[in-house]
Amino acid sequence: MQSSPLANPLATVAQLETSGSQLDGIPIDLENSVRFDGARLTQAAGILLRLPQEVIAQAIVVFMRFWVGPEGGSLAEFGAQQVSAASMYLTTKLSAYTKSARSIINVYTYLDSLPSTFVDPAQLQAKKAEEYYVSEGTYQRRKMELFETEQRILKVLGFQVQVSLPYSLCITYLQALDVFSHPRASDLASRAMAHLNTALLSPQVLYLTHQPPSLATAAIYLAAKEVGIKLPDVEWWEVFDTDREELGFLVVALLSVESFAAKERASWGSRKVPMTVDDLEAEMKKSANGED
Amino acid sequence: MASRWANDEADKAEDLRRKKEKEEKKRLKLQKQQAEQEAAAVAAARAAQRSESRPAKRRRLSTDAPDSDEPPKEKESERKLLRFAAGGWAPCRHTSNFETLNHIEEGSYGWVSRAREIGTGEIVALKKVKMDLNQDGFPITALREIAILQKARHTNIVDLREVLAGSAPNEVVLAMEFLEHDLKTLQEDMPEPFLASEVKTLLRQLASAVGFLHGHYILHRDLKTSNILLNNRGHLKIADFGMARYIPPPSAPLTQLVVTLWYRAPELLLGTESYGTEIDMWSLGCIFGELLLKEPILQGKNEVDELSLIFTLCGLPTDKTWPAFWRLPNAKGLKIPRDSGRNSAGVIRTKFPFLTNAGADLLTSLLSLNPEHRPTAQEMLDHPYFREAPKPKPPEMFPTFPSKAGQEKRRRRASPNAPKRGEAPGIQNIDFSGIFAIRDEEQAGAGFQLRVG
Repeated sequence: MQSSPLANPLATVAQLETSGSQLDGIPIDLENSVRFDGARLTQAAGILLRLPQEVIAQAIVVFMRFWVGPEGGSLAEFGAQQVSAASMYLTTKLSAYTKSARSIINVYTYLDSLPSTFVDPAQLQAKKAEEYYVSEGTYQRRKMELFETEQRILKVLGFQVQVSLPYSLCITYLQALDVFSHPRASDLASRAMAHLNTALLSPQVLYLTHQPPSLATAAIYLAAKEVGIKLPDVEWWEVFDTDREELGFLVVALLSVESFAAKERASWGSRKVPMTVDDLEAEMKKSANGED
Repeated sequence: MASRWANDEADKAEDLRRKKEKEEKKRLKLQKQQAEQEAAAVAAARAAQRSESRPAKRRRLSTDAPDSDEPPKEKESERKLLRFAAGGWAPCRHTSNFETLNHIEEGSYGWVSRAREIGTGEIVALKKVKMDLNQDGFPITALREIAILQKARHTNIVDLREVLAGSAPNEVVLAMEFLEHDLKTLQEDMPEPFLASEVKTLLRQLASAVGFLHGHYILHRDLKTSNILLNNRGHLKIADFGMARYIPPPSAPLTQLVVTLWYRAPELLLGTESYGTEIDMWSLGCIFGELLLKEPILQGKNEVDELSLIFTLCGLPTDKTWPAFWRLPNAKGLKIPRDSGRNSAGVIRTKFPFLTNAGADLLTSLLSLNPEHRPTAQEMLDHPYFREAPKPKPPEMFPTFPSKAGQEKRRRRASPNAPKRGEAPGIQNIDFSGIFAIRDEEQAGAGFQLRVG
């Protein structure tokens, strides 16, 4: 093992086996749904805050790290929305794009006012400003919650809130593979970037289990297959420190996110995925009654 | 004419593309054929031909129809891939795992104390972060400090072991390795300055740490002797990254209110908002001078006084030595004779009479008014000063000193803190219209004033 500034701290086997939420009796399916939509929420908030994707991706990884392991945060104690907001706040502080607590709270209030988790974009135009107005009192309350959650994230993660990302590595690898002379190289690059963004949402928490070089390699491999650009006929992935087995696993994992997302969309329909502690409790009660 | 060129370029590109496409088609066709008549001698011959011309591309290892004439696969076990690790994460441990032995210092950033880890008996320095939760949540400076210390693992940078949580929700404590001395307190208690060979060893370790930081896009922004620690084995480490930050993308403004006054570079005093690693190199120059004289060399009482001390020591900026000078925000408020010739030369050489020529050259270049003329940390390490006699003293040969931090509360002498704090009482009293009256006979009353506000 070597240390590298490009490496990320990874989740241990013990941390992947269980989670704070599961110990609190929250079904794993529900946890997966909430984590998936929490990550999507973070992505959406990042876009509304006009942040670069690098900052958003870091916030999502911090958000994902928080829930992992028996000592991780539990959905019975923290709503996904508050953790998403605090992850975002925390990450922007370490970036060159600091955002005020007010901006963060405004954006999350707006997203919370959407009628369903898988929202129809057409509905967005009809929204009235009163639906997501944040009064001074609400703001003060949310701000304290934001600060407290921020502290808890820092302590649960032992201040490991830095994230190395595979995006620029991916470009470097594409250059090394000499594909940019190809007429469809930009298709390849954008597909690879898209896969890296997809990996952020994976229920298999790929960013917590694999190092950036492997993620970048798998994204390139898959993108090249899709775009139909031929890469060298050798085991080129080994040059980028990825073995065949890991590559195969990551490719399958990346491909599976699409069907997972489709299933989520189908099962939640026009309902909202519970993003607060109260909503989650209500949801669990409802499903318990449904089963009876 | 221009359009002809453009046409030519386009044609060429188009030709190239067509040629490539053709090649690609040809290659695909050949591949198919190969797969179909794998055993056929014709295909084998063709493949051999091509594998000669483009060996790298023809070695297929992962196809459904491997060429029969290819060299056998390399064994998997022969190739060893690099594996990188950066540990994992776990919740912060509680401060009760440590017992406090004695307090070392209390600064603007928090309290530092010496403590022992109960489980292992190891001695560490604990630094409590001052927190005001109601402002912006967890203090951004502390967050940056922790983030940077986690990344900056270097033998001459203080090691952050872990971050501890206290019983109060807003209590956060950094556990760092303990070093016996800081250079400021140590020099105050030493009867004589460091020897030339010792200064070299210290400076070399310092430059190597700063080079590492700059290489990792980190600005320290508060280098001074009280932030530089030394253990009893001559090993130097930079500490206190409370002002440090990553070099942001270009064009993002940086605050000019950084670096303790006595170590602050002239471009910062003049209000620049785009600065870089050169400001740390200026501080290194100040520290170099301080190690030689055993006391800070530029003890300004305020920004204007500091500037006038700098100009007294290093000379006046001229259009030739620092063309960008007049474009700095605060420069407009200054009245400086434009072409004062010889008079504007600095007095570094006379102030450090015992320094060798190479040493004076290094010090002068570090204290260049124009940031572009300062050497980088790497250039500094390559300077002949470190190669000439006396050679740098091996750290293990360093003398040991009684440790103030280890046993008793330190006697604090007034010195300025990092910016935003009040100014420290100065020692010299410089009438700076006087400096320029002597230096510039032609222009009567050629002092300069800083326009405030």
